[in-house]
Amino acid sequence: MLETFNFRVIIEYLPLFWSCFLATLWLSTAGLLGALVIGTLACGMRIGRYKPLAIAASAYIESIRSTPLLVQLFFFYFGLPSLGIRLSEATTGILALALNSGAYMAEIIRAGIQSISYGQVEAAVASGLNYFQRMRHIILPQAIGMTLPPMLGQAIVLVKDSALLSLISLPELTRAGQIMTSERFMPAEGFLTSALFYLLIYYILKGLTHWSQKRLIYMQT
Amino acid sequence: MWSFYIEQLIHSLPFFLKGLWMTIAVSGLSLLAGTVIGFIWGILRASRSRFVKPLIGAWVDVVRGTPFLVQVFIIFFLLPEFGIQLEAFPAAVIALSNLAACFICEIVAAGIQAVPAGQREAATSTGLNGVQQLRYVILPQSMRIILPPLVGQFVLLIKDSSVVSAIGVMDVTRVGWLTVQRVPQGLLVFGLVAVLYFVICYPLIRISNSLEKRMSAGVTQNKM
Amino acid sequence: MIEFRDVHKWFGELHVLKGINLKVDPAEVLVVCGPSGSGKSTLIRCINRLEPIQKGALIVDTMKVHESKTNMTRLRAEIGFVFQQFNLYPHMTALQNVTLAPMKVRKTSKKVAEEQGRYVLEKVGLGDKLNQYPAQLSGGQQQRVAIARGLCMRPKIMLFDEPTSALDPEMINEVLEVMRNLAREGMTMIVVTHEMGFAREVSHRVAFMDYGELIEIAPPEEFFSRPKSERTKLFLSKILTH
Repeated sequence: MLETFNFRVIIEYLPLFWSCFLATLWLSTAGLLGALVIGTLACGMRIGRYKPLAIAASAYIESIRSTPLLVQLFFFYFGLPSLGIRLSEATTGILALALNSGAYMAEIIRAGIQSISYGQVEAAVASGLNYFQRMRHIILPQAIGMTLPPMLGQAIVLVKDSALLSLISLPELTRAGQIMTSERFMPAEGFLTSALFYLLIYYILKGLTHWSQKRLIYMQT
Repeated sequence: MWSFYIEQLIHSLPFFLKGLWMTIAVSGLSLLAGTVIGFIWGILRASRSRFVKPLIGAWVDVVRGTPFLVQVFIIFFLLPEFGIQLEAFPAAVIALSNLAACFICEIVAAGIQAVPAGQREAATSTGLNGVQQLRYVILPQSMRIILPPLVGQFVLLIKDSSVVSAIGVMDVTRVGWLTVQRVPQGLLVFGLVAVLYFVICYPLIRISNSLEKRMSAGVTQNKM
Repeated sequence: MIEFRDVHKWFGELHVLKGINLKVDPAEVLVVCGPSGSGKSTLIRCINRLEPIQKGALIVDTMKVHESKTNMTRLRAEIGFVFQQFNLYPHMTALQNVTLAPMKVRKTSKKVAEEQGRYVLEKVGLGDKLNQYPAQLSGGQQQRVAIARGLCMRPKIMLFDEPTSALDPEMINEVLEVMRNLAREGMTMIVVTHEMGFAREVSHRVAFMDYGELIEIAPPEEFFSRPKSERTKLFLSKILTH
């Protein structure tokens, strides 16, 4: 098969792959940032003392975790227009990614906050710090340290999830492979090249995860 | 107008249930194959073999580092070039089984490695060989650690199965996608699809959570 | 029965056994003592090849352990090993723990193996605990089951790696009692331990190891009252005063 593997075509399509690679990167980053915002919000609602908000947040998290991302994506892509909301494909895609990863981020953040020993909270309360001060100076800094590796793990998942955006015709890495398949009938060259770019992102993120685990080891008491 | 669409949906219900059955079929077969292969790879990964262990490790890493959609496309489009004519359903099962095997492999290897080394030493000292040790001493003890994440992994794989709709497998997601072309009520159609997945996945998630609680509560400490 | 000839072992760069020369006769009870890190545990772990040796010859029951082609399964069936951490199989009852190896290695039938298992568990005083799981037993009881597990294979040699170090003080004696009886019956035993009372009463010889070397070896009366080496004297003074 290697004799028929057409390297020249890949080189010809390299500009397309490159721009799609960048598209994947920026779609993923936007989705990730959205996920962090939504996740923090949902987490705050979930562990807060106001019952109705906590229940709403739980419902959100459980529905996301029990349904596939693709279904959520189609739900927004096909559903929002019927409500009169017309978003671009990119916005819809980022919205779906952010809402999906946001649920998982909420759980990661919750685990991080709850892993901080209660004794520290008591000490902070005893020294007179109010809720926001406790959060800002004691709890959140440690929570961020504990949650960084799992968050990077979720980032890896998010990048892989972004491939589904190709199914709503967004130009990104997987779509590049699809284009090469439909234009040149070369699915092998197309999708293997896409796979290589994804692996590149994967190994970089994985390296970051290991580095962060080493740096934050002092956090483990 | 809404009632018209709801009526249309109710008419399509049999179509959806057939799609649900397809989802269950694809997931079920892949989970079965993936669990068997995953256990074999996991046992090999936990062994000390200098050749097989890194080989499987490299494959698992590649599968975990690339999107499943891309893997599905590669298997669907690539294998025919090797002369293997594949239809969508077999290609889907192969891709999902491979995905399952790779993730389950890591869970199994971790479970085996979590069994205290002293157990292996005690078994070796009485003359039991590697296979006997695995079968009677190591695997039974590792199952307690493997079971909760294994069930959790089943849920993930059922959700991942929705991706195979992209190569035309008539699962419940694809039924939704086809239906929404005729019944342009995305919220209703995919709301229904979501509910159907929820019905399968949520019980499994609850089982996995309760397994986790039971397993960690029952861990017996060696009396020292 | 057991012979070490100029045995050396390294863990990477660390030289843990330095030129060990030792002979153990059948029915002999040898106690090995020494500070931690002296290599005494490593010494007995080499006998059933839980640890391989890099240099020298190690001959056990006429089999050459140092040669990798030697079939260790047959040899291990003749050697019972008791660990500091008991290492009982938590998912099996006492009886199952004891009968697993005879059934799978010696291919004894289940009926015969259970009879032998019952006999051996009664011997260590646990005849009424056959169907209990390790988690339901005290430390001392668990260690006695571990001894029974070793005995059920009818070994020629029993090796003990600090058998009482992980036990609460009140349970040490029940285990030592079992070991005393074994010695009386003529079992070849090598015991790594800090229990000097046991060494004085039961052993035929006591060996002292330090930094991987076999410093001194003598019958207990000589060893405790007239130690030859300075290091032995130092160790004894530390361990006998507390």
